[in-house]
Amino acid sequence: MHGLAVLHWIENVTGQRLQIEEGALYPALHRMEQRGWLDAEWGYTERNRKAKFYRLTAAGRRQLTAELLKWSRYTEAVGLVVAREGA
Amino acid sequence: MAFDPSRLPRVFRIPFSRRALGDEVDAELRFHLEGRIEELVALGMSREDATAEARRRFGDLDAHRRETRAIDEDMLRMQRRNDFAETLARELKYAARSLARAKTFSAMALVTLALGIGAATAIFTILDAIVLRPLPYARGDRLVALSSPVPGIKAAPVWGLARHEMYYFKRASRTLEDLGIYRREMSTITGGVGVQQAERATVAYVSASLFGVLGIVPERGRLLNADDNLRALDTLDVALMSHGLWERRYGGDPAIIGKRIDLEGFPVTVAGVLPANAQLPDSKTELWLPLDMNPASPARSNHVFSAIGRMRPGVTVDDAQRELTALTAQFSTVFPNVYTARMIKATGFTTQVKSLRDDVVGTLVTKALWILFGAVTVVLLIAAANVANLFLVRIETRRLEVAVRSAIGASRRDLAWHYLAESLALSGCAALGALAIAWIGLRILVTLAPADLPRLDEVHLGWASVAFTIAAALAAGVALGLLPSLRGTIDLTMLREGGRGATGSRRRLAARNVLVVSQMALALVLLASAGLLVRSLRNLRDVQPGFDATNVMTMSLALPNARYRTAALASNFFEQLSSRIRALPGVKAVGFGGALPLESSELCTGAVIDVPGPSGERGDCVQMMQVTPGYFETLRIPVRGRAPDWSETDLSGASAVVSGAFADRFWPNQNAIGRGVKCCNGNPPFYRISGITGPVRTHGLDRAAGQVVYFPMIPFATNPGIEGLPIFMRMVVRTSGPQGSEVVPAIRRVVAELDPQVPITDVAPMEQLLATSLARRSFTMMLLATAAALALLLSAVGIYGVISYVVAQRRGEIGIRMALGARTGQVRGLVVRQSLALAAVGVAIGLAGALATTRVLGALLFGVSPTDPLILAAATALLVTLAALASYFPARRASQVDPVETLRG
Repeated sequence: MHGLAVLHWIENVTGQRLQIEEGALYPALHRMEQRGWLDAEWGYTERNRKAKFYRLTAAGRRQLTAELLKWSRYTEAVGLVVAREGA
Repeated sequence: MAFDPSRLPRVFRIPFSRRALGDEVDAELRFHLEGRIEELVALGMSREDATAEARRRFGDLDAHRRETRAIDEDMLRMQRRNDFAETLARELKYAARSLARAKTFSAMALVTLALGIGAATAIFTILDAIVLRPLPYARGDRLVALSSPVPGIKAAPVWGLARHEMYYFKRASRTLEDLGIYRREMSTITGGVGVQQAERATVAYVSASLFGVLGIVPERGRLLNADDNLRALDTLDVALMSHGLWERRYGGDPAIIGKRIDLEGFPVTVAGVLPANAQLPDSKTELWLPLDMNPASPARSNHVFSAIGRMRPGVTVDDAQRELTALTAQFSTVFPNVYTARMIKATGFTTQVKSLRDDVVGTLVTKALWILFGAVTVVLLIAAANVANLFLVRIETRRLEVAVRSAIGASRRDLAWHYLAESLALSGCAALGALAIAWIGLRILVTLAPADLPRLDEVHLGWASVAFTIAAALAAGVALGLLPSLRGTIDLTMLREGGRGATGSRRRLAARNVLVVSQMALALVLLASAGLLVRSLRNLRDVQPGFDATNVMTMSLALPNARYRTAALASNFFEQLSSRIRALPGVKAVGFGGALPLESSELCTGAVIDVPGPSGERGDCVQMMQVTPGYFETLRIPVRGRAPDWSETDLSGASAVVSGAFADRFWPNQNAIGRGVKCCNGNPPFYRISGITGPVRTHGLDRAAGQVVYFPMIPFATNPGIEGLPIFMRMVVRTSGPQGSEVVPAIRRVVAELDPQVPITDVAPMEQLLATSLARRSFTMMLLATAAALALLLSAVGIYGVISYVVAQRRGEIGIRMALGARTGQVRGLVVRQSLALAAVGVAIGLAGALATTRVLGALLFGVSPTDPLILAAATALLVTLAALASYFPARRASQVDPVETLRG
């Protein structure tokens, strides 16, 4: 997936509710590549344009799982706090 | 390796240069922006609006681009580092494998290199510890030693400083921050703090300023101060103790401060303990006492003190020298009662400033160590040449392999990498071996080294040595590794010629000849130097010392001042002791003297000599010594006339003995007997000269016979000019047989019977003292001879290798010669002649080198010219013989070539 495709995916999934500064995506992608979470390769889009494609590596997947776990614990906790407040 | 598929994708993914990297980031961002713009245009926006909207959504383009690029650059750097480490690791692994396969080659190269580097490291360690490193004081590089050379007085080359000079220079000098003086001597601790047994110890009488100069702070208690110096004029009542003495003798008693110990029978109070590292230069001083001095006292010509100054920051030794020379030049007006302009002119009296380190180490030691370092460097070069030769052979045998590799795509760079890795792996292992050799070598060297070598206890295999080893190994590794690349090894003709590329090997043979010739030349220089030192040592051993050392035991004893206050008491003690020792079985003669031959002090004392002149007398500074009857007899020093005996204790008729050199100086071509000398700054009495000794080497075998007056014991103890010295005497005992040490217990018993508070120390046979006086030279000689022997051996191996190679190369030719009727002898002669031709060139260059360099041996030589033809001829003969021998085995192999076999092959 190239950078723009990543953004499209976010837009689709969130229904455009999550607005991010698009340029900030690239330092993030490159940093993840440096850490070995992403693998990058130049290739061609379906419209035959040259683009840089990123793929999640095994290490990246592990990292993602870990982060998701952290996130769900966090939201769970926040959810509990919010539920108590609301009661 | 030529082709590594695992590297390919990475080349695609990460661009190699920073510029390409920037382009890539730009392309990625451009793709994003253009993609967005197209999407927006497809939604119906105008191109301008779409561009603006895309830019807006993107945010700060420049900032994002910069950040992304920085990340990529960082990534590239890491990648490169990893690549380098990976290549190195891979090549080293490969190199280790290929070295392990070539066992003989690796072992030979490893041992040779380790030996060369190890020897160089060992000598470097000694050089570094003694000569290069600053003395162990804070800002030791700013410390200088001051002394007063008096070139006008031959007998005494250097005086010390006097008290008034210290005060004057402290006041007047702008280059010196501070200045301290001291005098060191042996003394006896006779008791105190519950430890009764007497002990000889080195004590120093110091000015209070010395502690500041050396940066010494007390561990316990206080330091000495100027008041202590003043009080010492009346009574000596305080002392500082070294950490060592405090721990050893007093068990580290925490309450030692304020307690009383006895020195020479006088009580002194311990005012402080100094830390373990506080020392005077190169000595083990146990007690520090205040020197009696008062800035208000009138100046007195008492030039006996060692002086250490601390220069101000930024001042050089030359600056300080210039200033002190100028200050000293005014002495006749500043101190008119001590110095006259005439005296300064006649004696050449001045003040010399030397870096303290040079003063402690001495120019001769510095020079000897640099020469030795030069010698081991030469050995290292010869060793490296041998290894280079081995490498060339290896390249030769692998030419086919290399040609094949380059044919299938290995680049020059790959091959260079391969060779470099191999030589680095080898030299790395050699460095480890070298450290082991250096460590062992140093242990041996330190035990063999002359005990009086300064700073010997500071010699350790430290980080500097390790750094030196690594540097040497790295230099050797890189030089050897680049050797094949420089010589253009990739020779595809190998493939075409079926393994018989002749031109390349001829060029390589020339390279090997150059290596062998330089080895020979270097070895000759070392051999000639070692030969000259051996000759010098033999000359020194042949010097007539002027006394007979066989069957003579020597020892020292000191009478405590407190109980031998008068000359009569001291003289009586020695007379009684003398008669008791002579009565012991096995003892033939005994005598006492202030110093033994070979070790006399260079200091001189003012005396008045009865020579014809305007006043009928002449004042001069002469060396004097006190001796008891029996001294000359025991040492078998011939005396013309007679020496005073025990009955002559009457001062009015006192007589003295002078050395022949002294008599010749003051009464040339006249009879000195019956003339007179006044001791000690011209105080009466007048001693009649009753005897003249033969030439005795009082200052060492390499020095001319001394000019000395031998006074009997009496005057020194009664003369107030000698300041409360303990009566320290050297004893000589002649035994009837060579087992001199067997009489020592009996002598100790006899001394203890007479006075149990008189310790006996420094027991040694006189022959050992004779050997010790040669120790530095023989040490240098031994090391240089070892270096020369190593050089010789390595050169022999070198020439053997080359000649064997030549024989192997010329098998075919030799076979043809033999088929055509050449006899065995002729073939052997052919090979040996080739070896001798190489040796001849090497020797010719070496001789020129030796003529140019042996001069640096200078002061180390004795009685032999640096270009002694006999030595050079002997070294040449040895080297040529060795070259002939080294070629003998290859020659025999050549003569056993089977013509049929070679012609067929």
